[in-house]
Order: sequence, then structure tokens, then C-alpha cells
Amino acid sequence: MVEFVYSNVEREMEVYGYDAVVKSHCRMCHGGCGVLVYTRNGRVEKIAGDPDCPINHGTLCSKGLASAQLAYHPDRLTYPVKRSGPKGSGRWERISWDEALDAIADRLLNYREAFGAETVVLGYGTGRENEAVIYRFANLFGTPNVLTAGHFCYGPRIATSILTCGTNPIVDYENNPRCIMVWGNNLVISNPDCYKGEPFSRALDAGAKLIAVDPRLTRIAARADVWLPLRPGTDAALALGMLQVIIEEGLYDREFVENHVHGWEPFVRRVEEYPLDKVEEITWVPAAKIREAARLFATSKPAAIQWGVAIEQQINCADNDRLLMFLMGITGNIDRPGGQVLFKPPGIRNVGHFGAHRMLPGIQREKRLGGERFRLAGQFAIINPKCVWDAILEEKPYPVKALFFISSNPLMTRGNAAEVYRALKKVEFMAVADFFMTPTAEMADIVLPAATWLEMDYIGDFWKRHGYILPRRKVIQVGECRSDHEMLNDLAHRVGQGEHWWDNFEQALDWILEPIGITWQDFKKRDYIRGDVLYRKYETRGFSTPTRKFEIYSTVLEGMGYDPLPRYREPPESPYSTPELYRKFPYILITGRRLPGFFHSENRQVSWLRELHRDPVVEIHPDAAKKEGIREGEWVIIESPRARVRQRAKFFAGMDPRIVSAEHGWWFPEKKDPGHGWDESNINMLTDNAYEACDPAMGATHVRTLLCRISPEKRS
Amino acid sequence: MKERGMDRFALIIDHESCWGCKACEVACKQENHAPEGIRLIHVSEDGPRMAGDRLNFVYRVNTCRHCDEPECVEACPEEAIVKRDDGIVILDEKACTGCGLCMDACPHQAIAFDNDRGVAQKCNLCYHRVDRGLEPACADNVCLAHCIYFGQPDEIEKGMSRKRQQTQ
Repeated sequence: MVEFVYSNVEREMEVYGYDAVVKSHCRMCHGGCGVLVYTRNGRVEKIAGDPDCPINHGTLCSKGLASAQLAYHPDRLTYPVKRSGPKGSGRWERISWDEALDAIADRLLNYREAFGAETVVLGYGTGRENEAVIYRFANLFGTPNVLTAGHFCYGPRIATSILTCGTNPIVDYENNPRCIMVWGNNLVISNPDCYKGEPFSRALDAGAKLIAVDPRLTRIAARADVWLPLRPGTDAALALGMLQVIIEEGLYDREFVENHVHGWEPFVRRVEEYPLDKVEEITWVPAAKIREAARLFATSKPAAIQWGVAIEQQINCADNDRLLMFLMGITGNIDRPGGQVLFKPPGIRNVGHFGAHRMLPGIQREKRLGGERFRLAGQFAIINPKCVWDAILEEKPYPVKALFFISSNPLMTRGNAAEVYRALKKVEFMAVADFFMTPTAEMADIVLPAATWLEMDYIGDFWKRHGYILPRRKVIQVGECRSDHEMLNDLAHRVGQGEHWWDNFEQALDWILEPIGITWQDFKKRDYIRGDVLYRKYETRGFSTPTRKFEIYSTVLEGMGYDPLPRYREPPESPYSTPELYRKFPYILITGRRLPGFFHSENRQVSWLRELHRDPVVEIHPDAAKKEGIREGEWVIIESPRARVRQRAKFFAGMDPRIVSAEHGWWFPEKKDPGHGWDESNINMLTDNAYEACDPAMGATHVRTLLCRISPEKRS
Repeated sequence: MKERGMDRFALIIDHESCWGCKACEVACKQENHAPEGIRLIHVSEDGPRMAGDRLNFVYRVNTCRHCDEPECVEACPEEAIVKRDDGIVILDEKACTGCGLCMDACPHQAIAFDNDRGVAQKCNLCYHRVDRGLEPACADNVCLAHCIYFGQPDEIEKGMSRKRQQTQ
């Protein structure tokens, strides 16, 4: 029973005299929520959640509600521009779409001809439902290099879940888990990838027990039955400790382990290397608490783990993901109602198929940057960013000549921002498609005006694993802005890929939907389509892995020359791995806690959202602040062995005094010089991206925990 | 049914359920277009602080309480603030001279001052919507925690206690 659906659409139309209301699908983050867009005289006047949408049930976050303010923002780029002064000078000249796309096509073709297709790198940031077209373009062009956040965000979950059980296990909130373990995630603020906060919140209201694993006391942690405030970066050790308790006390699902798990015995031996006293020492969490949480999780049925990106931006990335899946698996919660389900999408042509990965010639695939070092990533067409910067700066293993970033701001969002800056400065040619002139766009040669979700037709949640697709319907046109899909469809024709693309992008949507016998026009008339919901599929078919079992011992990783069993690695910079450095930089810096209104480096210019959070803020424990002579609210300098940045101090007693928590993604659109303050508060000035500090299989950059010192700005 | 003339409407927030997502703040902006810096509904952090043997941390949502005996109404020399029969306390900006006495009188710091226009501003409980059969913007099912309740106080209390029973 849905008790809280109020929105009275007819009355709303009548009272305000709107002309129309369009059902669509928001994409202020990765997509997800169904929305109602009310218009008058062709202008968006109001945005609300769609009460009929099974994802958000009519609720909507601050970002979604402010979408029209983004779309109509006076600073938006509404036509293509080319650089008319030196790189980064902020001097731009308006050009036509034809001129812009011809110029890009010309440069890309010339580089391919002279140096090879691999010297052209395409890129996107986090998932914005354009990944399928970008991969399609790159693969057909012949470049194996698409630079995304995939090495340290979601890509690892997809890669490791395919190795372990065939697909990403999604929490089945609809069927009310009795226990939810939220691990390094604040979904009520971030509404990440396949999840929204609303169904989680509702499951808690229905009485689910709650375990929170987080170094900070979030509201989720404050509400939890058990809170495990671990030392940042020690997730793998904590998970191994919980597994140790579950195995030792016989709390695992014997039937599942006996019949459906591959590698149980070697796994048990590995887990035995992590007795609870050792885990307590590593994680700073008392053994009794770990035991309490492990028991609660293992004995509540069904139970689920709400996970996310925090555990992936670490050296233990792939093993963190795998260990949490093993917790889900051996407690018998995989593919069970109210546990974590291997949902089936509707039978459309999927993202992998659309991405045309099979059309990349083998000889080009072998040239994928970092493919030999980060072999699991390479298998999933994912590359580590440093490989691209090095290829530009050192020209090894070959020079990268051109970058084309679509909805990406790597200067703010990738590790070691100073190195990113040097690479962007040096690269011969760069094109960017975005909503605004971001610090990254300011370094480009050509910038294209991208459409927001209000300005495009698309199959929403096409790439997700929760089993739904929802129509995103175009409502408005702003300036000459074009969707990334239309733009690449056009560019593809100009580089000779026409036979694999379409006259217009609606035909591509028809092609995606064709296997289920409908067109885009048919789909537009529906609220959503959901794949068949089936549980315990493995009982009849096994898991979609080489052994048909749930692979706790990964035969694929073994084949690639990696340890087939998970382990804990100490963070590259920590009180224990670098004790001398710790004496000079005596705090553990964690980065990237989530804030309402912002999405990584986005929305700092949207006033309703910026108003929620004016300045970059670093949280420091009151005891530590006292020691460092820091007053609440003043600007402070945070310094790592690499650089220093400024953020505003806020006292926060909800974490260990040895931890400092800074925000990420900060630049200042209100600063009108072309740099927009990109290096003032950008936490990635402080992070490291050395290959040795990355996850050995996925190439995840370890940006979440490092060492720092902190002092009042005035004294420094 | 309550008699006409008695309180009928209230906005009640279940702070234990609030996640601090601030969707209510932006929903209010979208509806009422309060100028930058003025937040007619405002979510803030409370804590962390020790509560018994554990740390607690909650969010507080502050907005006009539409008090039974509103001190702002008493304080206003222009009679620009009135409490209606249905309980909604409305500040009429056109009648406001910007003296600020209501702000001093309000025990909840729920009245803001618009410097540009020189008038006080507060939540009028979206009476322009309520009078036409719609919910106030913040209470119109935007909240992912479903923690903002609008309606008759006793009905809300029943709803909240049903939820509490489920959780336990």
C-alpha cells in the first residue's frame, strides 16, 4: 500500500493554468526517478516526482527539483564555440554545429591516419546514460581508449559481480529486507546508480534492522542498531573479520555453500588468516562490535548490503566488492526475495551490444592503455586515467594526440589534478561537450553545448541492473544544445561510420527496443517496462560464471595471473604503511562525503542548490581543532605531501579525532577568470595517482584516504 | 469533524525520520521563489552529541509553526500577520513595513528579512495552494523519508504512531 501519494496532477494543471504535463525521467545524477514536467507557453514551470514511478514513488531530490534552473541558467553554453586565443585564455568565438563537427572529424581522422586510432581518447565522467553511444563511436572508430570513472566507480562492481555471480546483485527493497547493512554509502543523500533513498527509507519504516559501516556518523549511522566506525580504507579487513565470525559460528547457509559455491575450502583458509583480534587492530573497530554486526546480519533473513562507490576508490577496490558479495552469498541472500537479486532487464538490445565492443579489431584492443597492468579493467574496456596523462606527457607507450570529453570534468574529479592539468595543457587537440564552461572545457579547442535531460529523448536506465527501463521524453529545446546521442550520431557520419548509425537518433531507440516488438513511439506511451522478476534462478541454471557456481575463488582472476582469493592491503599512505610521513602529516584525510544538491563537480552555479551549501567544508573533530588552533567556520589549509588547498572548517564530533573529512569537486563558477578557482579547494590537488597505489586488477585510483595536516589559513 | 473556527491544518515534521536531504527546501523555492539567502523551510544539523551511552546526530527542520497563540501576530504594529480560522498564520508582505518586531518576537527564528525589499518573510503554509485543494509544496510527497505531514493534527498523530509501531 502506498500511503503517501499526494500529487494531484489535474488540480495542479487547473490552478496554475499549465498547458501541459509531460512524464519523463530525471538525469540530474545517473538517472532513475520518474518525474512530471509542467509547462506553460513552452517553458518548464514546475518539476515534481511521478507518483506512478516504481523507483521514487513520487518523491524527488533537490537536484531534480532544480532541473529547470539548470536548463535555463544564463551561463549555459547554448552554441558551439572554438578557441580564439591561446589555450586557457578564455577567448572564444561562436561557430556553427557544422563547422564544429567538421573540425572535430577532420582532426580525429588526421590523427588516426598519421598516428593510429588509439591516439584518440574519448571520455565521459560518471554514468550519464551516454556511455553506450560513446563506446559505440570509439569502437567503430578503432580506438580502445575510453576514459571514464569506470576504474573506480561502478565498473568494479560490474566486473567483479560478473566474475562472481554473473551480474550485479541489487537490493530487493520492494520485498522488505529484515536487515540492511549500509557499507560506506549515504544513499539518502546521493541516490546512487541503481538505488534511490526512498525505498530504503521505507524498508526501515517497515522495521528492518540497520547496520552502518562508515568512519563518519551519518544520520544512517546514528539510526543504526550497530555502527562500525572503521579506520578509513580498512573495509576489506572488516569484511574478512565478519566472514570469520560467520564461518566460525556456522551462521552461513550450508545448502548454498555446499551446492552453489566454488572454492569454499581455500577461501576458509584465507579467512582464517584474519582472526578478530588482528581485524580489530587493523580497523580500530572493537572485536565485540564486529561480532555483533556479523551475527545480526547473518541471522536476519532476508538481509541485504547497500554498497557504493566509497569502497571502490581504494587500493582494495575489487576485493572490497568481492568480499561484500561473499557476505551476501554465503548467508544465502543472493537471488532471494528481500535479499539481493540478479534482476533481468527487459529483452532489449543491451548496452554492451549497442556499445559495439565486438567491432573493435583485436589488434586495436591489444593497444588499450594500461591493459597489461590492469588486466581486469582492460577486459571490461576500462582504463586508468594516469595511463592517458602519461601517454600525453611521456608519449609512452605511444603519444595520445586528441581528447574528446563528453560530460566530464577530469580536472576536478581525477586523482592528482596537477598532472591532469599538465596533460590537458599539452595535448594537441581537445574537444569537450558540456552544459557550462567548466575548468576542463576552458582548456579545450572546441566546446559543444550539451542538452540536459529535459532536452532529449532516451531510454532511461538503459544501463542499469535493476530490471527497469523508463522513457525520458524531450520537453524543451534550449539554444542550439544537442544531446550527446544526437551529437555523436552526427559526428559518426562525418568520420565514415554512417553505415553503423542512423538518420536520426530516434531510429537508434527503435533499434534498441526492436527485440521486444515495440518502437520508441510505443515506448513513450508507457510509464516503464520491467524485465521478468524471477528468484533463485541459479537453482536450475547455475550462475553465469565459468564454473556455473558462485565464485568465491575466481577462476577468471586466476587466469589473469591475480590472486583468486581476496585479501586486505594497507592503504598506500597510512599511520602503518608510511609511519614517517604520518609524523609530518598526522591526520587521515577522507574525501568526498556526499552533499545534497551537488553531483560531483556539478551545480555550483545553480542558486537553489548552491544556497544549500555555499563553501567547500572540511570537517574536523573538535579535539583536533583545539590542538591545531582552528576556529569553527574559518578557512583552513589542508596539506598533503603533494599540495595544499583551502576549505572552511566545521567541527564534527562524529568521527575519530585522527580523521579529517574534506569535500570533493569544488570549483567556483562565480569566479569569471578561465580557471574558475579550479586548484583552490580541489581535493584532487592532494590525492595521488601512482600506479602502485591503484587497485592492481581494476586500476582504481586510491583517492579516498590519504595523510594530511591542517592549519588555520591566517597562521599559514 | 471539528467545528468550524477551530484549528484544522498543521504541518508536522517527524524529525527522527528526516535524512537531511533538503528536498523540502528546494521544493519550497520552486513554489515560492524566496530570494537567495531566505529559506522559508530550513534543514540544519543537530549534533553529533552524546545521548546516553551513544552518539546521536539528527536533522532539525525549521519553519513557521503556525502557533496556537502566535507571538508574531501580537508583535506586529501593522496587523500584517493574521491567524486564520483554519490555523494558518499568514504574513502579508504588502502590509509589512519592515520594522522587524515579529522577528524578535518569534521564539523559533522562523521569520527572515528580505533586505532587497525591506520586508519580513515567513512560511505562509502555501495557503494559495491549500485554499485550492493542493498540498503545501514541501508536504506534497517530495520527501523521501515521508516525514513531512500536513493536515489535521490528530490525523497526523495517528499516522505517525502507526509508523512508529511498524518500526518497533
